[in-house]
Amino acid sequence: MLAALGDVQIPLVAAMLLGGCASKLFQVARRRSFDAALGPTVLFPIRLRRLATRVVCACELSFGFGLILTSGRLLQGWPAFLIRLGTGLMFVVATCALIEVRSVRPDVGCGCFGEFSVTPITGRTLARSALLAVAALATIRLPPIELPRTAGGAAALLGLFAAEVLVFVGLSPEMRELLVSIGYSQPCELRAISPEQTLAVLQRSAQWRRHRGQIADNRPVDVWRELCWRYLVFASRSGDRDALAVFAVYLQHRRPVVLSALVDSATGAVLPWPAAAPRRAGAWWPARPRGLPQPALPARRGTAMRARRAGAGANGAGPGGP
Amino acid sequence: MCCERCPGATPERIGDFARRRMLKAAVFQPSPAGGPRDAGGAQRDAGGAAGTGGTAGGGRVRAGAGPAAGGAGGARGAADLAEQDGRQTPPAHLYRSVTGQVLDVSPHFVTIGFPGGERQQRFALTADATAWRGGPLEPAAVWPGDEAVIRLVPSRPGVADRIWANIGRVSGTILRADAESVVVSEGITKRERTVVIPRRAASRIQVRFPRLLPGYLIDVIGTRRGDVVEALAPATSQPPYRSDQARPQGRPGGLIPEAITGSAVWHDALDEPYGMLGVCYPAVDPAAGCAEDQAAGTGPGQAPAARALPYLAVGSALLVRNDCTGLAWTLPVTGCAPTARLFNDRCTACHPGDRCGACQASVRGRVADLTLASFVALGGELERGCFNATITIGR
Repeated sequence: MLAALGDVQIPLVAAMLLGGCASKLFQVARRRSFDAALGPTVLFPIRLRRLATRVVCACELSFGFGLILTSGRLLQGWPAFLIRLGTGLMFVVATCALIEVRSVRPDVGCGCFGEFSVTPITGRTLARSALLAVAALATIRLPPIELPRTAGGAAALLGLFAAEVLVFVGLSPEMRELLVSIGYSQPCELRAISPEQTLAVLQRSAQWRRHRGQIADNRPVDVWRELCWRYLVFASRSGDRDALAVFAVYLQHRRPVVLSALVDSATGAVLPWPAAAPRRAGAWWPARPRGLPQPALPARRGTAMRARRAGAGANGAGPGGP
Repeated sequence: MCCERCPGATPERIGDFARRRMLKAAVFQPSPAGGPRDAGGAQRDAGGAAGTGGTAGGGRVRAGAGPAAGGAGGARGAADLAEQDGRQTPPAHLYRSVTGQVLDVSPHFVTIGFPGGERQQRFALTADATAWRGGPLEPAAVWPGDEAVIRLVPSRPGVADRIWANIGRVSGTILRADAESVVVSEGITKRERTVVIPRRAASRIQVRFPRLLPGYLIDVIGTRRGDVVEALAPATSQPPYRSDQARPQGRPGGLIPEAITGSAVWHDALDEPYGMLGVCYPAVDPAAGCAEDQAAGTGPGQAPAARALPYLAVGSALLVRNDCTGLAWTLPVTGCAPTARLFNDRCTACHPGDRCGACQASVRGRVADLTLASFVALGGELERGCFNATITIGR
């Protein structure tokens, strides 16, 4: 079974790479330019983004075909080892880049599948990238793939492949955009969602629960919408100063992304959120502090998590909702 | 917060729009390590990808719509927006316009006076300057006493190259009609307008507007005398349906492109502040409480959204590009465009939106309803009524 599980990784990873490359090239062909910033390329200076997009496309294409070509007995040995190691490292780097993009540009998508990857990066996107990295690294010492000799073996292989595909589909926000593009679903820019619905979604989110103590009045002082985001502004206080708590809610029905910031009413300066009461360590993966000084590394992990939560501030992001 | 009237951008509200951009920037921008960030830093990024000179791509609207969603020209867009918020002056490479009463005119100079009569200004005319008053004419043929819109040459504020005298436009639903005139409603936030159709222009107008009957739409350009406009030319074609039969489109499918092409028109708002810069957008978020929707009893999300335009708010930044001149500028959304929505299709098979032929046939449908000053700034010819436009949602 483990051998069969290893065998399905190579076609799956290769398909993901070639699909990602094809969708990026499709977007480039539509725009007739490599200028479009795709996901992590926004981390680069503008003049380097075109080059970064080309490099990513070239890597995906070469690793995708390389995985297929080295999967059999042909080119076994060092070529296969290097291709698989390179693929794994690429996914590791991609995962790190996505974490960074999520931190510095929480509004952009991962760009993994071109224009289909516009939904802001969430934990699912990161999990998919990390799983792909694991899948690619797990194939480094894989022997040449051989076709199953029995019908049972083939069925088991197909079943494993289908199950893994389902896992990746479940982790892919691009499926929503795909449904939109074929006309099955309405794009979020045109979706009619009332402010009351948005407020209800916000009040169920982790961001709201975390900052509820700083909200002076539960009725927003300003609400407006642009494209897929609705912004809600609440009166707040920061120390002895009047402040505004701003929440941006991504307009989707399930697990919307919620971003927040605390802004000084008088000066417009972004303020750090006051330290919230720490939650029990270990219950969830700790909220990642964004843009604030990192606390000194404590000796124990639980202490570190408590310290991070206490420091989580100005621009926390993450999937909220129920 | 209800505000979505057209015109909706009062000087007091412009501060609110700037604040919205600042708050949006605060949400999407990472804080620099070590402490809070100043508001200036946030506002510098507010233009984002909506910089001047953006191109008409066929990409996808970035769902994120963050304030600095990448792209060259961001600083320019921000600068433009800041300029709008403050001085209400177009950048140097765009046209500026002044409006006033002609006091004196000669082949080389025109002098206009501003409301109140205390101030007047003299402009030199270029050698190839032209004028319009019901038709093309020499600048010297403009009469003292005419209300004129004077277009200034970019980067030369004392030199004019175009004069439109007494130009007016009426676009809306016919309320009453008789043999010689029609009374038109341009929306509940505006005064009723009377349109007189002279015999010499009647046939030309009736070719494009065959049903001058109550309930049907009209859009004509002519000369203005007080509140009365003498119609001289049709600005578009008449939709075959009555305005009260307009209904939302069916559920659109497919991704929303990042750049949307169509027709940009101008409106002649008597109540609008002089020189106001902005754009009325046909798809202001219906949940925001547009006065027109409330008056029509339209529920949230049920307003005809005019093609598949993404929802925005009053104050959102919109990059409008004149595809005929190549001029582009980031403008704030100042209100909903109820008339533009009515002219956009209710039924793509029977009237798929009007089409502008200013330089080449545009994609059907009105995507922007500009103020007079904005229309002139982007190089639009007022007597044509429209230009082919590409709009890109500002970040």
